[in-house]
Formats: sequence, C-alpha cells, structure tokens
Amino acid sequence: MTRTWLRWLPAAMVPVALAAAALAGSYQAGAATSLPHKTAAEVIAMIGRSEVRALSGTLQQNSELGLPQLPTTGPAATQGPASVIELLSGSHTARVYLDGPSKARFQVMDMLAERELVRNGNDLWLYNSADNSAAHVTLPTPPRTGSLAPRATPTPGMATPDVVAQHFLAAVEPSTEVTVGDGTTVAGRTAYQLVIKPRSTGTLVDSVTIAVDSASGLPLGVDVQARGQAAAAFSLAFTDVNLSAPDAGLFSFTPPRGAAVEQKAAPQLHALPGKTGPTSPAKKETGRPTIIGTGWDAVIGLPAGTVPADVRTTPLMAQLTQAVPGGRALTTSLVTVLMLDDGRVFAGMVPLERLQAAAATQ
Amino acid sequence: MASELSVLFRRLRTWAMLLALAAIPLLIAAAVKLSSHPVAPGRGPPFLDRITQNGLFVGVTALIVSVPLFLPLTIGVVAGDTIAGEANLGTLRYLLVAPAGRVRLLLIKYTAAAVFCLAATLTVAAAGALAGVVLFPVGPVTLLSGDTIGVGESVLRSLLIAAYIAVSLLGLSAIGLAISTFTDVPVGAMAATIVLSVVSQVADNLPQLEWLHPWLFSHYWLGFADLLRQPISWASFGDNALLQAGYILAAGALAYGKFTSKDVLS
Repeated sequence: MTRTWLRWLPAAMVPVALAAAALAGSYQAGAATSLPHKTAAEVIAMIGRSEVRALSGTLQQNSELGLPQLPTTGPAATQGPASVIELLSGSHTARVYLDGPSKARFQVMDMLAERELVRNGNDLWLYNSADNSAAHVTLPTPPRTGSLAPRATPTPGMATPDVVAQHFLAAVEPSTEVTVGDGTTVAGRTAYQLVIKPRSTGTLVDSVTIAVDSASGLPLGVDVQARGQAAAAFSLAFTDVNLSAPDAGLFSFTPPRGAAVEQKAAPQLHALPGKTGPTSPAKKETGRPTIIGTGWDAVIGLPAGTVPADVRTTPLMAQLTQAVPGGRALTTSLVTVLMLDDGRVFAGMVPLERLQAAAATQ
Repeated sequence: MASELSVLFRRLRTWAMLLALAAIPLLIAAAVKLSSHPVAPGRGPPFLDRITQNGLFVGVTALIVSVPLFLPLTIGVVAGDTIAGEANLGTLRYLLVAPAGRVRLLLIKYTAAAVFCLAATLTVAAAGALAGVVLFPVGPVTLLSGDTIGVGESVLRSLLIAAYIAVSLLGLSAIGLAISTFTDVPVGAMAATIVLSVVSQVADNLPQLEWLHPWLFSHYWLGFADLLRQPISWASFGDNALLQAGYILAAGALAYGKFTSKDVLS
C-alpha cells in the first residue's frame, strides 16, 4: 500500500512545485530593492539629464478604463478610427527601437498581425499587416535652434514610457504632491518610483507612478491609478530593455510588393495607428483648442468642426458613448469626453459634470 | 524504440491522418487558384490574400487553419491510443512481460507520440510549400513587420514555425498519454484528449477567464506569428516551451502514478 502511495507522489508534487516556481518568479519580478535615497526633485532632475539616445525594448501596455471589450480580431478591429480606441482598451505588446532623435521603429504586435511605425529622418512609414496597407508621411524639418530639449522632435505616434512620463511631469506644479516611493525592479533594472498625486479632488486621476531607471534616468514604466479603482487604469512599462543601439537596418523601410501605399500630408497625423496615451492627445493637437481651468482638472474644449463628423457617427462610437443632454459622452475611469450635438467637443481627466459645466460657460 | 516507431508509421491509420493533413494545404491552394475573384485583404484566414502573390504562404495559412482542430485531432488519436490501445488489443501484458519496465514503456510511447507531432506539422508545411511552388509564383516573402526576406530565409522560418507548432503539441500529447493510462478503451482516451484541447481553446477566448489564460496549454498555439516578425521575437517561443514542459512534467507524473500502480489485466 505504501508503495502505491509513493508512486502517486510525483503526480501530487509536480503541480505544486510548478505552481511554487511560477509564483516565486512573479514575486521576484516586482521585488522591492534598496537604492540610495533621493528626493523627488533629484529624481525629476535625473529624468531631465537622461542621455539615453538609443534603445531597443519590449513594452507591455494594459488599460482598465471601463470601456467595453472590443473585438481584437477580424478586419474591422485595427482599421480606421477604431484603431485608436482599440489601442486604448485591453492590453498590447509592442517593441520599440530608437537610435538618436530621428530614427525610430515602433511595432504593435497583434495576434497574427502587426502595426508598424518606422521613422528615418523625415520619412515616416506606417504599415498594417492585417490589410497590407502602408502610408508614407514626410515630416517637416524641425527648427534647429539648439535650445530645445535634447530629445528634440518626438516621433508622432510613439508611446514609450518616456513620452507618457514627460506628459505627466509637465503637469507637476503646486497643485501636485510629488514623492519618491520604494525602489522597484522594472525589466530587470532597479528603478526609483516617482509618485505624482494631484491635490485637487476634481480630477479622476488618483496618482501617477513613474518608474525611473536608477542608472540612466530613463522612465521605464508609467502607472496611472484612477479614483475608486484598485487596478491601474493605464499602465505602460518595459518588460525588457537594452540601451545599446539597435541594428541600423531596422530603420530602413520599403513598403512590400503588393501593399497599398498612400501618401499622407503631415498635418493628418491624428489618424496614425499606434497613437495612444491616457488623455488621447490625438484630439488635443487638432484645431485651436481652448483650455478651461488649470492643472489636473483642466478641460480642453474643441470648437465645432475639428473632430470629423464620421468619427462621431460610427456605430462603434454609438456603442461606446451614452446619450446625455445636448450630446453624447464617453466616460472612462480616467478620461471623459463630451461630444455636443453642435460639434463642440470637451475632454478632460475630470467627471462628466465638470465637462458639462465647462460647456455651459463657453 | 525503433520497433515502436515502425509500428506507428506502418499503421494505415497514421498514414491516413497524415494524408488528411496534407490535403488541407492542397485544398486551400486549389480553392484560391480556382476562385475567379481575388481574395480581399483581411478576409478569411490570415495571409489568405497573400497566397496569389507568393506560394510560400500556402504552408503558413494551412498551419494556421489546422492548429485549432485538425492537428489536435490527430495528436489526440495517436496519444490517446498509446497505452489504452495496447490494453484493448490485449498486448499490454505481453509488453510488460519483457523486462523493460513500465517507465521505459511510457517513455517510448511518449517519444513516438512526440515524433508524430513533428511529422504531422512537417507534413502540413511541406505539402503547403509544394502546392504553393507548383500553383503560384514564388518570390521574396513579406513579413508581418513589412520587411521582405529571401526565399532561403523564408524556408528556414517555415521550418521554425513547424518546430514551434510541434513543441506546442507536446503538452497535449502528454495529456493524451496520461488519459490513456486510465482506461482500456482507446476511443475514450482519444475523445477525452480532443475534447480537452477544444475546452482549453474555448476558455482561452473567454475574457472572463483572463487569469487562467497563461496556464492553458493552448494559450501560445497561435504565437508562432512572432517568428514572422522582423527581428524574430523569441519571447513566445520560450514561454511556449516552458509551458509545454510544465504540462509534460505534470501529465507525465500523473501517467507514472497511474501506470506503475495499475494492475494490468489485459
């Protein structure tokens, strides 16, 4: 009888051992590390001094915005205006390659497909393997004044933790409390955690955590916590990163034979696939927006006609938004967008009531 | 070992299954060739629209089509038959009379099933390549990233994909072997294995079970697309191999527990 038990022992032990190994691995990934103490100002200065010009890495993005789950497969999922919203919901894996300010490659890895953004100098190529279509954009030459930030012109449509972190650091001001949390490990590198907490209660943002590489000052990850939600509403972080220059051949892109190639004018950049960000910057860059309020509870108002009518009338939009007095509203745990029937659009990281109040005063 | 393989590959059933698998790429190629209007991009299985431009995509498309059902079906038949089939024929006790040991028999049976995994995927890939070369023009291959590679490298990548899928099916083979030790009815073990593979894939598509997804043996089955990116992303290959190794260990331990403590009467 005991011999029988001994023979069943591996069957019981192996799953336990495997589960233990998997758990140990995941604990190690987020283990706290001890780093020399730094103040919040010193960590912000580290980001500013960061000299990382070249890197290759893999990014993992997760959103828990409270949007309905969109179809991630099929021809309609990754085309047209839906692609921007698709990128804002669910989770994605992307690879990013940078070499200097003007060479970049960004690959959003979908199931059995890939969306591609390649920049080499002034040439910007977009490629979507799902429908084998490519687009070419000639970027305007940036003014070489030299007094600008060393990062120079960011490639439009690139969403790296660096870009997203800069966006939130720009919001640091007296209405914000900045602290340094425990050291952490991101993509195998030790990192400081910079915690940005709005003092204002009028915003949906609870806190923003930026993981800053302790060696290079490069932001490795950004977590945005929304009020009243345990899971991060938006997180973007490297799962692995290598700070050496990637293979130069990656940045030369020729559209494949048989692909439909479209030449696009530079100002139409808001239609890029791969554009993402917690505050949908696509809507902010078009037209002549007005900004109501300051800091975290600022509201951006777009005059009528800046958002194409076809975006507003797609069935997808009807599904995502809900009817409110005078228009339709898209409410997520982090961002609210109010689209009025007269064509005006208001957006902000604030509750819907504040958008309606702002719309009424305009 | 050699005798086990020769028994497996001398069976009419094995050849019938391999022929059926080879028919999938032939069917796809013939259908695309004979259809009068071109396939619109983004319709049908992935890469279907590329076949007319490049015959080398026939194999990849056929593999994508056969991974969810046809390959698990044949693996289920082979793996489910391993022990239960011998028990059903009444030959199991004679195998165990020889001083070879039960563990060794399990290992040999599993190795034969693993060889069949590789043979099945290679059959689909090779038949696809053959049909593509005969019916369509062959040229440089466009990867998912939009980059183009030559014919030589594309053959290498096709072989890598076949290897990836063969590895993907190892976990299912081990599960089939484990189920096979529990019954003397081979059809029951085959059906249970195939049903498990379908259940696993259905669960993988339910967003409500997201916490479970990385633990399902079918989770990385379609991850071979990462081998069609430029540069190759090896992450899913490694994750997949690790996951399958876990399933082989767990199912192998279960099969060991049952088979070594079992009273073999038939």
